Amino acid sequence: MTASSVVSSVVVVGGGIAGVSTVAELRKHGYAGELTLVSADPIPYDRPPLSKEYLAGGRDLDSIALQAPEWYAEQRVSLVGGAVAVALRPDAGEVELADGRVLSADRIVLATGGRAVRPALGEVGSAIHVLREVGEADRLHTQLVPGARLLIVGAGLIGAEVASTARKLGAEVVLVDPLAPPLAAAVGLEVATWLHGLHTDHGVEALTTTVETLLETPTGVAAQLKGEPDSREFDAVLLAVGLAPETALAAAAGLETSRGILVDAGQVTSHPSVLAVGDCARRRDHHRAEHWEAAQRDGARAAATILDAPPPPASAPWWWSDRYGLHVEGVGEMRSPDAEHTTVVRGAVGEPPFSVFTLRGERVIGAVAVDDSNAVRAARRMIDRGVDVRASDIADPGTDLRKLLRGTR
Amino acid sequence: MTAHSGNSGESQGIRVASVDDIPEGEGIAISSDITGTEDDIAILRDDNGTCWALNDTCTHETASLAEGWVEDGDVECPLHSSRFNLKTGKVDGLPATRDTVPHRVEVRDGEVYLFPGERP
Repeated sequence: MTASSVVSSVVVVGGGIAGVSTVAELRKHGYAGELTLVSADPIPYDRPPLSKEYLAGGRDLDSIALQAPEWYAEQRVSLVGGAVAVALRPDAGEVELADGRVLSADRIVLATGGRAVRPALGEVGSAIHVLREVGEADRLHTQLVPGARLLIVGAGLIGAEVASTARKLGAEVVLVDPLAPPLAAAVGLEVATWLHGLHTDHGVEALTTTVETLLETPTGVAAQLKGEPDSREFDAVLLAVGLAPETALAAAAGLETSRGILVDAGQVTSHPSVLAVGDCARRRDHHRAEHWEAAQRDGARAAATILDAPPPPASAPWWWSDRYGLHVEGVGEMRSPDAEHTTVVRGAVGEPPFSVFTLRGERVIGAVAVDDSNAVRAARRMIDRGVDVRASDIADPGTDLRKLLRGTR
Repeated sequence: MTAHSGNSGESQGIRVASVDDIPEGEGIAISSDITGTEDDIAILRDDNGTCWALNDTCTHETASLAEGWVEDGDVECPLHSSRFNLKTGKVDGLPATRDTVPHRVEVRDGEVYLFPGERP
């Protein structure tokens, strides 16, 4: 081994789940060198609660910290909090911070995440919101009071979660999405239809349309919805139409980007000493997953690459969401029934707990469950291990999926 | 299921279940009314048939670890897949960051005895 291949300093830029997982995995697997984590926030925090428990109120920032403050010292991680990286110099192995400090390292890991997409409908301001950062959740929370009129643009996972939280707080909610129903690609048409119907059941006005203009008025926001003769007045608007990967630092440094910082299977960018993980990164042949666990797994892969260790085993992508007190999970890929694919329902759609599996031949390739997490846990292992199953066994709620799995081990 | 403290005193533990009541890879929750602890206690049976006990409520969000997935020495929370070591209660996987509390369990004559507050 040449001296240059020994990594003795790593700087991770970004304090979300991907960045924190990278430093945690490096230490877990024996990395003993210098380790620095640059975070825009004083203490890195977890984002999933921002549309759920945290947005509902009564929780503080400490309760959503990704690690306790003392953890960083215990793990010998130099946490540079409240700091923003403004320049990356890959050949020199340098990151420059907004305050002029320059950090240098053998390897730099970009975990810069993303920003909420801001469609050109109106300026984000006092009444028009996006939701990605804790400050954005705090501002939105102040407007979610009983009787407040909230327009949510986009009924994907974030829009749906906020609708549920806002109803809990007593706000009146109009939820707009051009798709009928949203999320069909993620959960299958039948489950998507039922999930979307929950909004109406809980007093949300769910409309299949788009917003043409948003105009801030002295009292709120006037929204013109496509197909309606008059505009409607709202106290607050949330734009929840997707995520834009934060690639500016990488692009300015000459790294290859295309809908994300392009990386290989080991999370290495087009520069060999720079890696990228989480929402900012994209494998050339993949879509960005944009889910919590995908970011965590990126961090584990990046750590393995830096340590020249075997990569952690691959696993089917997994995600969760919560709405109206129901817990939704998905794993793998859901497909409509066709010559190759079968849809298998376990229980009854609309009567939780239930789950829906997609089989390709005798192999499970995806599953979605409502209030039945262990069905998804089992499905994930069936996918990962390539287990052959019978549709009739999966469909029978009397079949113990763990036993079925164990019998094949 | 019945569970009672019996008259045998603290040192004998609390009989909480028959081992056959807990399928391998699964768990049951024992109410704090019975255990006398602040939290309910999850009795978790691993793939080798060994029983373990941890505080039932996940340290991350409110979820019952007794309803979790037991595998490879860990229990995985049914909500967000935080993983806890069955023996030590230590966090083996985020999002939980705080360890949970393990309790001593003994199996005698096919019956599970729990010693709340005692380390395994």
